Amino acid sequence: MEFFYHIGKYLVFLRKVFKRPQKRNIFIQNIFFEIEKLGINSVVIVFIISIFMGAVITLQTAYNIEVSFVPLYLVGLGTRDSMFLEFSSTIVALILAGKVGANIASEIGTMKIREQIEALDMMGVNSESYLVLPKIIASVFTFPLLTLFSMFVGIFGGYLAVYFTNAIPLDDFVYGIHYYFIPFYITYSLIKMAIFAFIIATVPAYQAYFIRGGALEVGKANTKAVVYSSILILFFNVIITQILLS
Amino acid sequence: MIEVRNISKSFGEEQILKNISLTFERGKTNLIIGQSGSGKTVLLKSIVGIHEIDEGEIIFGGQVYSSMDRKEKQKIRQEIGMVFQGGALFDSYTVYENVIFPLRMFSGMSKKEMNKRVDFCLDRVNLQNVNDFYPSEISGGMQKRVAIARAIVLNPKYLFFDEPNSGLDPKTAIVIDNLIKEITVDFNTVTVINTHDMNSVAETGDNIAFIYNGQAWWTGNNKDILESENKELNEFVFATKLMRSIKK
Repeated sequence: MEFFYHIGKYLVFLRKVFKRPQKRNIFIQNIFFEIEKLGINSVVIVFIISIFMGAVITLQTAYNIEVSFVPLYLVGLGTRDSMFLEFSSTIVALILAGKVGANIASEIGTMKIREQIEALDMMGVNSESYLVLPKIIASVFTFPLLTLFSMFVGIFGGYLAVYFTNAIPLDDFVYGIHYYFIPFYITYSLIKMAIFAFIIATVPAYQAYFIRGGALEVGKANTKAVVYSSILILFFNVIITQILLS
Repeated sequence: MIEVRNISKSFGEEQILKNISLTFERGKTNLIIGQSGSGKTVLLKSIVGIHEIDEGEIIFGGQVYSSMDRKEKQKIRQEIGMVFQGGALFDSYTVYENVIFPLRMFSGMSKKEMNKRVDFCLDRVNLQNVNDFYPSEISGGMQKRVAIARAIVLNPKYLFFDEPNSGLDPKTAIVIDNLIKEITVDFNTVTVINTHDMNSVAETGDNIAFIYNGQAWWTGNNKDILESENKELNEFVFATKLMRSIKK
C-alpha cells in the first residue's frame, strides 16, 4: 500500500513541478545555473570513467579471444557496441544517480530542514516548480550530451589501450569500430538517457522535498535517492530495451 | 486586521490547536506566547497557511484566507513578510541576493529601483557594507536583520516572526525587538510575533495571547500580564526568580 501511496504523492508532486514558471527570466537563469552544476560539472567524472571502461572492455575482449577463427576486429566492434548500447547510457546514468542525485537530495533536503522551502512558499513562490523544474530541464538536455561524450571517450580509451599494449593490431580495432555500424543504437542510447535523466532529477527531489527532521534525515534521503534512482534506472532499462530493440 | 475564528488543527490522533479565536490589530505588535510544545508555532504556521487547518476560519483584511485556493493564497502571501526562527536565508545567495529575491520575483521594478529598495531596507535594519557576504559569514543577529529586511522589501501588510530572539544575546535581542516595533509603526503592519522571551513580552507586547495546552488561555497586554491572577499564565511568566521579584 505504501508503494502506491508514494506513486500517487510523486505524481501530485510532479504536477506542481510542471506548473508554469512565475518569472521567465529567473527561470531561464536557473536553467543555465543547473546546466553548469549538474551537467558541465559532471564532464570530468564521465571522462575518467568512460576512458578507463573503454580501455578495460577492449583489453578483456582481446585477451579472452582464444579461438583463432574469431576475427580480431570483433574487439573493436564489441567495445563500440558495449559503449553505445549499455555503458554510455545505463552505467553513466548509475554514476550520475550517485553524483547528481545525491547533490539534488542534499540541496533540497537542507533547504527543507532550514525552513528555506517554507520561506519560498510564504513569499508566494511555487517552490516545487522553482527548485525542481530547472533541474529536470537541465538534466534531460545535458545528460544525453554526456552520453555522446562518453561514447567517443570510451572508444578513444579502447584505441589507446590497443595502441599501448598491442593486444591486437590497431588496424583490426579501427576496422571493428567501423564494422556494421547501426546508427539507431545512438538514438536508442540517447532516448534511454533522457528518461534516466528525468528519474535522476525527480526521484531525489521527491525524496528530499518531504523529509521531516534534521541532518540525519537529509543523509537518509540522500541514500534513498541514490538507491531508488538506481533501481528505477535498471528497471526502465529493461522496459525501454524491450520497446525499442525488440 | 487578522481574525482567527475557532480554528483547530490535529496531527494524526493528537489535537494541537483547540478551537482558538484571536484578533491581531494593525500597527500593533501582537504576541503569541506559551511554553515549548503548547502549539504556538503550529498556530503561527496555520495562520500563514503553511499548515492546513482542520476547522475554523482565518481572515486577512476581510478575506477568508483559509478557504482560498493555492493561486489566491499566493497573492495574499505576497502581502505577507515572514521571519523564520533560523532566519531561513538562502545559503547560496549573498545578503544582497537574499533581500532582492522577492523583488525580482514579484515587483516588476527596474534594476535601479530594486537596488534602491534593497539599500533602503538594509539601511532600515541598520546593516551597511554586508551586501556581498553569505549568510554563513555574518553573525546570528545580522542574519535576523537580513531576514527582516527581506520580509519588508515588498512593503508587506502583514508581518510574522517566529521566535525572532532565539539564539541571540539579550542586548542583540533588544535591538531586534525595538526594530520590530519601529517597523510595525513605520509600515503600519499587522505584526504577529511568536515568542517565549519575557523581555520581548515586556518591551513589545501591545496585544498578548497566551497559548496553553492548544487553547487561547488568556489575552491582554504587557501591563495586564503583570497583574493577572491566571494560574497557568503566572506559572509561565513568573517561572524565574527575576520575574517573580518584578511581580512583587
